[in-house]
Order: sequence, then structure tokens, then C-alpha cells
Amino acid sequence: MKNTGELSRRQILAAAGFIGLAALTGCGSGDDGGDSKDLSKKQNGAMKEYQAGQQFKASKALSFSMLHNDNPVYPLKTSWLFWKEVTKRTGVTIKPVDVPLADYEKKRSVLIGAGDAPFLIPKTYHPSEVAFVSSGAILPVSEYVHLMPNFQDKVKKWRLEPELDSIRQSDGKYYLLPGLHERPKAGYSLSFRTDILDKHGLTLPNTWDEVYDVLKALKAEYPDKYPWTDRWSTNTPFPCGALFMYLGQAYGVKAGWTYDNISFDTKAQKFVFTATQDAYRQMVEYLRKIVAEKLLDPESFTQQDDQAVQKLLAEKSYVISANPQELVQNYRYNLGKQVKGSKIEMVPVPLGPAGPVLLSGIRLENGVMISSKALKSADFVAMMQFVDWLWYSDEGQKFCKWGVEGVTYTEADGKYRLEPGISLMGSDPDAPKDLQKDYGFFNGVFTYGGSWELVSSNFSPDEKKFQDVMSQRKELPVDPAHPLQSFEQEQATLWDTPLKDTVIQNTLQFVLGKRPMSEWDAFVAELKAKNLQQFVDLHNKAYERYRKENG
Amino acid sequence: MVKPSRSYRVFQGVNGVVLTLVVLVTLYPFANIVSRSFSGERQIRAGEVTLWPKGFNLTTYKIVFQDSMFWRNYGNTVFYTVVSTAVAMILTTCYAYVLSKKNLKGRGVLVGVAVFTMFFTGGLIPNYILVTELGLKNSVWAIALPNAISVFNLLVMKAFFESLPTELEEAAQIDGLSTYGILLRIVLPLSKAVVATMVLFYTVSFWNSWFSAFLYMDHSDLMPVTVYLRNLIAGATGAGNAGAGTAEMSQVGASIQAVTIVLTALPIICVYPFVQRYFVSGVMLGAVKG
Repeated sequence: MKNTGELSRRQILAAAGFIGLAALTGCGSGDDGGDSKDLSKKQNGAMKEYQAGQQFKASKALSFSMLHNDNPVYPLKTSWLFWKEVTKRTGVTIKPVDVPLADYEKKRSVLIGAGDAPFLIPKTYHPSEVAFVSSGAILPVSEYVHLMPNFQDKVKKWRLEPELDSIRQSDGKYYLLPGLHERPKAGYSLSFRTDILDKHGLTLPNTWDEVYDVLKALKAEYPDKYPWTDRWSTNTPFPCGALFMYLGQAYGVKAGWTYDNISFDTKAQKFVFTATQDAYRQMVEYLRKIVAEKLLDPESFTQQDDQAVQKLLAEKSYVISANPQELVQNYRYNLGKQVKGSKIEMVPVPLGPAGPVLLSGIRLENGVMISSKALKSADFVAMMQFVDWLWYSDEGQKFCKWGVEGVTYTEADGKYRLEPGISLMGSDPDAPKDLQKDYGFFNGVFTYGGSWELVSSNFSPDEKKFQDVMSQRKELPVDPAHPLQSFEQEQATLWDTPLKDTVIQNTLQFVLGKRPMSEWDAFVAELKAKNLQQFVDLHNKAYERYRKENG
Repeated sequence: MVKPSRSYRVFQGVNGVVLTLVVLVTLYPFANIVSRSFSGERQIRAGEVTLWPKGFNLTTYKIVFQDSMFWRNYGNTVFYTVVSTAVAMILTTCYAYVLSKKNLKGRGVLVGVAVFTMFFTGGLIPNYILVTELGLKNSVWAIALPNAISVFNLLVMKAFFESLPTELEEAAQIDGLSTYGILLRIVLPLSKAVVATMVLFYTVSFWNSWFSAFLYMDHSDLMPVTVYLRNLIAGATGAGNAGAGTAEMSQVGASIQAVTIVLTALPIICVYPFVQRYFVSGVMLGAVKG
């Protein structure tokens, strides 16, 4: 016989096909969580009457797995007081799965994709949760926030419903428990070498026009230098991400890190394309003027952060973007060592045509995703209560940030003071212990958001001055919810990326003077050829639909 | 002996100069990295460091060395590399030897199976599920087994074995050696060159690899040193990292990349000269008299 002892190709193919089919159906089954709305059988360890402001304590010992973002500045230790104290206060043991910070997102995707994710997945930035929605691996948490009194309380008290609406998916649910801020916290602005300004009788600018004047005056003094060099151009599709972000804010448009192709026009009550607005063009023209007069180093848009900082330290430039930490810990600290008598200060974001405003949406922070598997657990209700207490109650937030009163800190009239011998971010270089490294508090996985009192409790004097001015400014309204349905989402993504690329490339070309402003209309035409109108219409359609369905 | 012609000597001279230049250009970045790793922060930031360390400073080395996790992870790397290389060598040698036998039935299929994996893989998530379901997670096998056979190395080895004269093995057979005896006592001793090369290839790749460990290990004390250093770089140079700012962290931020490169490259550099002599493939000369 022909086939003795040997399989024919057809037989092998058939076998392979069968195995493949079995694997596919295998993946589909196993979804037997019962009625997901019925939580009566998932009360194991839960508190019967758990309310906002109340200490959560599980009625029996529980443990939950959690993805832990391991920050090399304070690498995870199992001996942290944090772990012990959590268990002592709540009866819950957290079982961390330790993931190095450098590749946290990658491992998170793999774990979720493989169905091997821990129950709690913190440190997730919107919109990265969207990628997991269609797989069903992530719990639509908005369905279960009734188990979270502290979360609900803060949303109501701080009027965060519009913000929450903005992260809803097309099914009207949201899949991420975001960090909640009472007040917007601004992060970035320009910093100036004030000793140099003083030397030439210049003052710190308040508006972008004054920024131009100061730069111009510096250029007159140092004609062969670029007075301003900038950074945050790497690891982002939009170079000079910070600069464009706060410059755009002064013009009332989204740019840089916050760039989004669509923006809501409150006057016309509809969505428009961001980069074709007049304000966006004005912003580009302003920066173009700065670059053309050699006030801003053109390498700003391509160089590494280190190179920019080196130019500042080597006194090749005097102006650079900053955030409060970088200002104090990097610029001021290093300048102090290299340049005698140097002073550097950060100004509140200079004002532009939009007036004293803040971009919207910054009252939400990164937050916690919950694995759908958790819903099948008998401990589900207790887990939600636990999450609510640890991440959203005043008591829990204070605990995560400052630790245990009398052990790590003392509090008097709203002022927090670390116990002697404990340092936080270099506050006391001689202290033998560190709040983050040795106790596990102030850990980015647990500590963010909260009341203004708590958020501002660790501001340095510089940051306090900056934040005090910034918090007086008015927050622009949040874009109304306009969730796309999944097929629309796919279409929108196809259009979104080429549009964004065109915008970013051309923004840079206009700014760097490689393309004349007279070609702006041609640029708009290029965008139209890339389905600009269809893209905007799609979002407006979704907006209308959502408004009709949800009022 | 014919005296080399004038033009040949000119050529040799030019050749020598050009190659020396190439060597210098290749060595310079490495010398620069080494001197950076010993330099002070200010000098590094100001871009003053070229060939020799300036503002000699060992803070970063001290910080790295003082961390018990560093040594633990370094030990892990050594352990993972040794086990993985041993497993890989055994499997690759056996596979390659079998494939080198022209009279083997189904040889084409066996080669095809291997080559197929060069072009198609199951993908990240299926691999992850497979390894997890096999219970290999958090053990050295998660690193050793999935990477045990590199098809490229396999094909190189197969080609080498094929080039060995069959007469040798026939003679050994007549003298009464079994298949394994032939492999162990005749073929392998004659293949030192290729075995050394393969060991080096595997060692370097396992030493430098971080991804499978990162994927399959859930606790930082199981990670190899590559993951540790990768994370340290991210923490020391990342924008807006919390906790930097003390004098030490600032120094670490400036030289950590250089220190990292030196520390991970050092063992391989130490081993290389000893393996290199086997690369000269003159072993076969005069083995067969015909």
C-alpha cells in the first residue's frame, strides 16, 4: 500500500485543521460566570454596610493579586511597612506581580491577552484601556461603582461627571477607575535663568508677547547664542511635547502631548478639526517668528532631553521648559554645581489670546483596571470595597501617601511633617531611611489624585507658588462624550494616524520656516485629501447619537 | 621563495594603515564608554570626556554594587546562561548531527520543520500561554527551553558535520563504535571549532537576552541583570522620575548607561579570548590520508 507507515499530506492537513479548531473553540468557552448582575453570591468577606468615610475591614482574611509597577528609584520590597499595614487595617493581603517599570505596558498587554492578568491592574493611563475593551478581558467598572461609596462621593462632590463621560466607550460604560483630582494640577511651563535676566535689567514675562521681548533682549546681549533651547522631543510623536502643550493652552488649542485631531467648538456646538482652527495657526505663527529670529534653538525639535539640559548647564542657553521636579532636582541642582551664582525659576504658564485658562481633562489621572476574571470570584464585592477604600477614601489616600501617623509622619493644622530620620525625594540627605524606598509609601502605584489639601501637602515652595497662580485659572469645559462604536472606531483609527502625522510634520515645517505660511491653505487641502471631513463627521455623528440616547 | 613584488608591499602597507584606522574607529566608542563610566557627572554633562576618564568618580559603580539585588540578578544571569547554553548545545548538536546524515529518511521534513520556525512563529501571546500552561513560569526552563534551538546555529552546525568525511565514520563503525560513540569520540573532537563558535553564540545571546525573563518571571529576585539594569536606566534617565535629585542619583543618571554597558560586556570580553583560538578551523588538515 502506498501510505504504509507514513501520513499523507492531506491527513496531516486535516489533523492540523482539527487541532486549530479545537483550540479556537477552547478559547471561546469557559464564560460561565452566571448572571453577572447578581452579586449576592460574591459577598465573601465583604462589609454589609460599607459607606464613604468608613474604614474598610474584610470580614475574613482575603488576598488579591495586583500588577505592580516596579520603580527602580524605590524597588519593591516585601518588607515594606505598607504591605503589613494594609493587611492590618483591611484584612486584605495584596499579592504583587512585579513588573519592571521600563516595560510595564508590554507585560500588561501580554498578561491580559493571555488571560493571565492579576485582578487589579493599576497605573493604567487612559486611553490605553481601550485596546482591551473588545476582548472582554477588562471589567466595565462603571457597572459596579455602586459598590464604591468613596469613589461616587468624590465624583459628585468635585463634579467630575463630565470628565468620566469623556472616558466612556460606545456602550456607554467606562473600563478604567481613574485617579480623581479635586483641582487641576498643572505641570509644565517655561523656566528662565533669573540671574541673567537681572544682570540685563529684564523681568520675568507674564505673557507670550513678553516672552518674545525677553528672548529678543537676551539675543541682543548674546548674539551668537540661542537664548532658548527645549526638550521633551523624544518618545513622543509630537516633538517639544511640553512646549506645544502649554503654548497651545495659551491659544486654547490642543497641541504637543495633549494633541488630539478633534476638538469641541463650544460656540458652534460641534466637533472641529484641531489643526485647522485659527488659533492653531496663530500658535504656529508665533513659534515660527521665534525660530526665524533665532531665539529658539531649532535642534529643540529633535534633540534628546540630555542634550537640551547640557546646553542649559553649559550656558549655551538660558531658557528651557520645566516641571517643578526637573526645575529643582535637575536644573537648579546641577546649575548650582557648575555655574556660580546661577538662579533659575519657572514662570506660571505665560498668557496668550485665550486668557487665563487651563486645558480640560487634567483632573483625571492614571488609574486601576480590573480583570473580568475578578467578577467570577466570590470575593468580588469585598475587592471593590477594598479598592474603594485604598485608592479613593480620604483615609486610604492619606495612608498611601504619608504612611502611618506617629511612625512615618505627624500632622498638625493640615501640615504634614515626616518623622526625624525619614527622607522623601532627597528632603533630608542625611536621613537613614527613605519614605519610598524603606517604607513603601508615596508609591506611584497607589498615590495620586485626591483633595487639593492632600495633593498640595508635599509641594516645594517653588511648586506651591506655581500651583497657586495656576489654580486661579479657569478650566476649559471638557469635550462632551462622543463614544464611537467599534466599527467606527476602526475606521476612525485608520484616518486618525495619517491625519495626525500630516499635522505634526507640517506644524514642524511651518515652525522651522521650511514651508512658507502662504501654503497653509495647501496644507489644509492635503488634510482634506486624507479624509479630514469624513473623520470630523464621524465624531459629530457619534456625538449626536450619544446625546440623543443619553440626554 | 618568491620575493613579494613592490606593488604587493605597497598594498600591504596601505592595507595595514586602513585596517588600523578601522580598528581605532571601532574601539573608540567602547573606550569612550569605559572612560565615561569612571567620570564625574559635570564632565560627562559638559561633554568633556573622550578617551580618558575625567573627574574620576566611582559613585555609580558603588551604588550598583551595593544593591544586593544587583548581585542576585547577576547570579541569575550566570545561572540562566550556563543552563540555557548547556541545554541548547546538547539539543542543537544532536539535531544537527542527525540532519547531516544524507541517508536519513524524512530528513527534508526535519529540516523543513526547523526552517519553518525561522519564518513563522506562534506569536507572543500563544507562546506565553504555552509556557505558562506547561508550568515553566518563574523557572530557568522558561528561558532555556523556548530558545534552545536557534535555527541559524543549527544549519551552520549541520553544514559543518556534512563536511566531515564519511570515511572517518565508516572506519569507526568497522572498529566497532556505536552511533553515540561515533558522535562523542570521533565527530565532536573534530568539531571543536564549530562547537566553540556555537557556545559563544549561545552564551552571548543568553547573556544579553532580557525579554523572556521579563515575560516569564514575576518577581524581581528572579530577573537577570539585564532587566535590572534596563530598569535602572529607565528610572535614572526617565523624564519626571520621582526621587532623583540627591547628589548620588544625579551622578547615577549621568553615567549609568556607560556603567551598565561595561558591567554587562565585561564577562563576555573576558571569555572571548579563550574561545577565540578555536575559531581557526585548521583541525581537519591531514585527518584523512587518501
